[in-house]
Amino acid sequence: MRGNGPWKMAAGVAAIALLAAGCSGGSSDDDETLPNTISIGIVEPESLIPSNSTEANGSSVLASLFYPLVRFDEQSNPYTVAAEAITHDKANKVWTIRLRSGFTFSNGEPVTVDNYINAWNYGAFGPNAQVASYFFSRIDGYAQMQSVDPDGTGPEKAPEPKATTLTGLRKLNNLTFTVTLSTGFAGWESVMGYDAFYPLPKAAFKSEGVLADNFGDAPIGNGPFKLKGTWQHDSKIVVEKVADFKGTVPKVDGITWKIYQDLGAQYADLVAGNLDVETKIPIESLASASGDLGQRLQKSPSSAFSFVGFPIYEKEYANKDVRRALSMAINREEMTDQIFLGSETPATSFVSPVVAGYRKNSCGQNCEYNPTLAKQIYTAANGPTDIKISYNSDGGHKAWVDAMCNQIKASLGVNCTGSPEPKLADLLKKVRDHKSVGMIRLAWTMDYPLMENYLGPLYTTDGSSNFYGYTNTAFDSLVREGSEAATPQAAIKKWQQAEDILADEMPVLPLRFGQNVYGFSAKVTNVSMDLFQKVDIYKIEVAN
Amino acid sequence: MFRYIVRRLLQMVLTFFGATFVVYALMFAAQDDPIQALVGERPITPSQRTALTERFHLDDNFFAQYWYYMKGLLTGDFGTSLTNRKIADMLADAWPVTLRLSLLAIVIAATIAILAGVVSGIRRGSIFDNATLAITLVVLAMPIVVLAPLAQLVFGIKLGWFPVTAGQDAGLWQLLLPATVLASLVVATELRVTRASVAENLRADYVRTAKAKGLTRARVIGVHVLRNSLIPVITLIGVDLGALMSGAIVTEKVFNIPGVGFNLFRGIRTEDGPLVVGFVSVLVIVFLVVNLIVDLLYAVLDPRIRYE
Amino acid sequence: MSESVMPKPGPTEQAPGKPRSLAGDAWHDLRRSKIFWLAAVLIAVILLMAAWPSLFTSADPRDCVLARQHRGPSGAAIFGYDFQGCDVYAKTVYGARYSIVVGVFATLIAGLIGAVFGLAAGFFGGWLDAILSRFIDVMLGIPLLLGAIVLAKRLSADPQSNGVLAVTVTLGLLGWTTAARVLRSSVVAAKNQDYVAAARMLGAGNNRLLFRHILPNSMASYIVVLTILLGINIASEATLSFLGIGLKGNAISWGIAISEATGYVRVAAGPLIWPALFLAATVLAFIMLGDAVRDAFDPKLR
Repeated sequence: MRGNGPWKMAAGVAAIALLAAGCSGGSSDDDETLPNTISIGIVEPESLIPSNSTEANGSSVLASLFYPLVRFDEQSNPYTVAAEAITHDKANKVWTIRLRSGFTFSNGEPVTVDNYINAWNYGAFGPNAQVASYFFSRIDGYAQMQSVDPDGTGPEKAPEPKATTLTGLRKLNNLTFTVTLSTGFAGWESVMGYDAFYPLPKAAFKSEGVLADNFGDAPIGNGPFKLKGTWQHDSKIVVEKVADFKGTVPKVDGITWKIYQDLGAQYADLVAGNLDVETKIPIESLASASGDLGQRLQKSPSSAFSFVGFPIYEKEYANKDVRRALSMAINREEMTDQIFLGSETPATSFVSPVVAGYRKNSCGQNCEYNPTLAKQIYTAANGPTDIKISYNSDGGHKAWVDAMCNQIKASLGVNCTGSPEPKLADLLKKVRDHKSVGMIRLAWTMDYPLMENYLGPLYTTDGSSNFYGYTNTAFDSLVREGSEAATPQAAIKKWQQAEDILADEMPVLPLRFGQNVYGFSAKVTNVSMDLFQKVDIYKIEVAN
Repeated sequence: MFRYIVRRLLQMVLTFFGATFVVYALMFAAQDDPIQALVGERPITPSQRTALTERFHLDDNFFAQYWYYMKGLLTGDFGTSLTNRKIADMLADAWPVTLRLSLLAIVIAATIAILAGVVSGIRRGSIFDNATLAITLVVLAMPIVVLAPLAQLVFGIKLGWFPVTAGQDAGLWQLLLPATVLASLVVATELRVTRASVAENLRADYVRTAKAKGLTRARVIGVHVLRNSLIPVITLIGVDLGALMSGAIVTEKVFNIPGVGFNLFRGIRTEDGPLVVGFVSVLVIVFLVVNLIVDLLYAVLDPRIRYE
Repeated sequence: MSESVMPKPGPTEQAPGKPRSLAGDAWHDLRRSKIFWLAAVLIAVILLMAAWPSLFTSADPRDCVLARQHRGPSGAAIFGYDFQGCDVYAKTVYGARYSIVVGVFATLIAGLIGAVFGLAAGFFGGWLDAILSRFIDVMLGIPLLLGAIVLAKRLSADPQSNGVLAVTVTLGLLGWTTAARVLRSSVVAAKNQDYVAAARMLGAGNNRLLFRHILPNSMASYIVVLTILLGINIASEATLSFLGIGLKGNAISWGIAISEATGYVRVAAGPLIWPALFLAATVLAFIMLGDAVRDAFDPKLR
């Protein structure tokens, strides 16, 4: 060991390290490329249980495994798919759904009404804590399935809910059931297009109301594809065609949903030809994307709506003239052009252009860039000299928040700073505690294509995402009247009246509407994306 | 020596439990609203909040929560992440690829650092020495968020020499480029320490003695100087190895490797207590083992250091 | 653990010394070192920039106009404009203050803690080493991000604070472990050298052994680790700031400027390269200073 001991030792250590590194590696060439299969990039889904999924990645995978009651046409109107017919009474309160016959789950079980009722009851039952549970809240009996801890975070246990099933669901026969809502709602058919309303097979349940342990990793659906193996977390989800599927048959034989942590890595793989579709090209890559992809870089509308909320509870922002002036002080166009390189469009309305009833520029003069008028109004209203815009730092918001601040500084001559919080949860907690956060960056993507899905959650007094505390009873009742209106046209009329109130009061500052900016490889064609940020898996095909 | 190792292993058990306690406490202190963090931008209903709070014992006090965790851990159960995945499964998914990546990176870094460090230590002030200094500065000033995508673009996409991304079950070949990028993170310090150590030992009395004895220059440097210079370098390599396992967040992201760094980052962001504690606990074991090996190597390199 | 040679408590009086102290010797050497003066001048310029940035530029670093996005160098802005249309030169000059304060003080804190842990664990050995070393092992395992979140919550609860203190303390408290382990290793090696045994036999006390004999012979690697840590700390500040747990408000620093520019490096490299160059120059100055100081303190060169 004297002599060249250290060298021998170093060599030995290196050899051991390399050996350890080498073993169990190198098994990565099982990414077999079967002739008629494609790969689509996603981020690790939160869940593959339909009632527990509210984000686009899980939703995309579920769309290949399940067949929905309704899908949406170009104008966002629902048409039946797994349902044969959906009818309703005059008050839009009792809905009758008749299923198409002959459908089966991929494990062979026939699809019946019970599969829907059991799945919906599971999703609605409070203690199951399903994130999409709120979709069932319009159905009669939802409230009885919830329970709230009497002492908040205290030691006392929450009582069991009074009911385990929705009283509003009634089976008429194996293929027909009725849904009774607690109040009439004209848009209910659209709501049922969402993931939470997929049926679950008997095999999904261990016992009544209890899901089998591994169902989340190996869901069984009634759709055109079935899972091959199980969900390989953080790696991939492989689906293959179901033999003799009764519904619309997709053109590809299989899809590999490749899971990425990062859009940049996804983009690199897309350019290198290792991935067929990337549904969201990262902004950093946009500048080079048209050169890299040419015609294979495309845009389509999406439902995303970005805005900044005013903390109505802070007295600096209580005066609506202050809010109006701030809205006029910013140049939305410059922001979407320079910061987002045209991947988003300026927003001058309070609902997305993708829903029926949208009016361009419903915000009017209040959303027009007019620094001179803005400064006049702001000075007259005695607006605050220090503006803060709070945002969550994990969403890539810094660039546009800084730019917006610079615009406000230039237009109004006040000080403006962007204030990052680690995550949205931290920001929302401060808002809930009524801490001084200044303006709050927020965004919304719709659950179903109705104006109400923007107006309700964002601006009504008890709206689930009305974090800034806007309240206006006239607005609330207009939204409600719209929901209960007899026809969609009548509903839209009421909702537009409600939107006019927003345009006058400016509880939020509309900024941008999102778009799907997606790219695909030379291997595939007919790639299109819907309003829910999902690739249309029925249209996409492999190029010859 | 044997008794020393046994004693260290016993210390290790105590340290492991101490570490779980410390990390659990830190996670507890870092937690604001894990339930909102879990659902992201979505609103959350009161009954959902109630159910999740009870499922994960979030309304219990710290010691009760830690007790639940320890009870599981003592029966070999690492618990369940807030995303409902078994943490044992997540550990099994993430550690192998991270081990491969970090070992490969450390071999690359150590080889370059020791070779270049010895040469520039012997020839202080030479062109080679100044060149390594310049590269050190570049690597320090250019963050890995620039280097990693740049390497991917140039060597992966444009030249096509290496695979563009690696993935969960990547082999050595796919990991070579990310490992090289990762190595740049630690090579600067290792190189400078080797250089300083070699330069210092060259002046030591025993070198003069060895030269006087008429030993060849190669033997003096290869055996005497190097051997005595390696102690701080090996210490540093040991620390770096662990740091690369947990700190490769950017590299793992760019090359799509779902390893330990990525999981830790995700767990901290979503306030996923059991997930973070599980990963950090294993990481602490790695540090304990590596540092034990390093300490034992001291005695191999310098026989005057003895453990009993 | 107990090493075979345990330091024995001995008489502590100083042996009749040389005319100059160790520090005096070092200063004598330093004054004649060209590298030292080069480093000193560079550091002086950087400190001047940190203290009075307006001496170097009359432009306002916070005057940003989107219309000027990525415009190239001109007479008005010699380094051009960045993504937000801010003057890159002005931003780089004004960025010195927070970068230097955070970098230098975080490194000092880390160096101090590292020195105490490394010297104590390496020199005394035994149960003290066991406790300190296992503590270091646990500290090594704690992710920076987790520690930073917890510390930032405690340290910058005051909405008025600018976050500098919190970031400095956070990086200092979480960054000392490497320095401690490296110093410990050098001390373990140094204390077994012949001259230490000789000094001990001559009756040198622990203090004298430690500070006169062992420390000067163990400093080389420790100083190198610290100088590099300085650069790492300046860059880490940006990471924390970007995660919302670092500097607050519209703070300007090199790290933040570098991070902001990375996304657009393929479109415009200037906004990335200039602050990176200043950061590199700072680290270079401290590396040279470290080299010079170490040479001056090295007893073998006498």
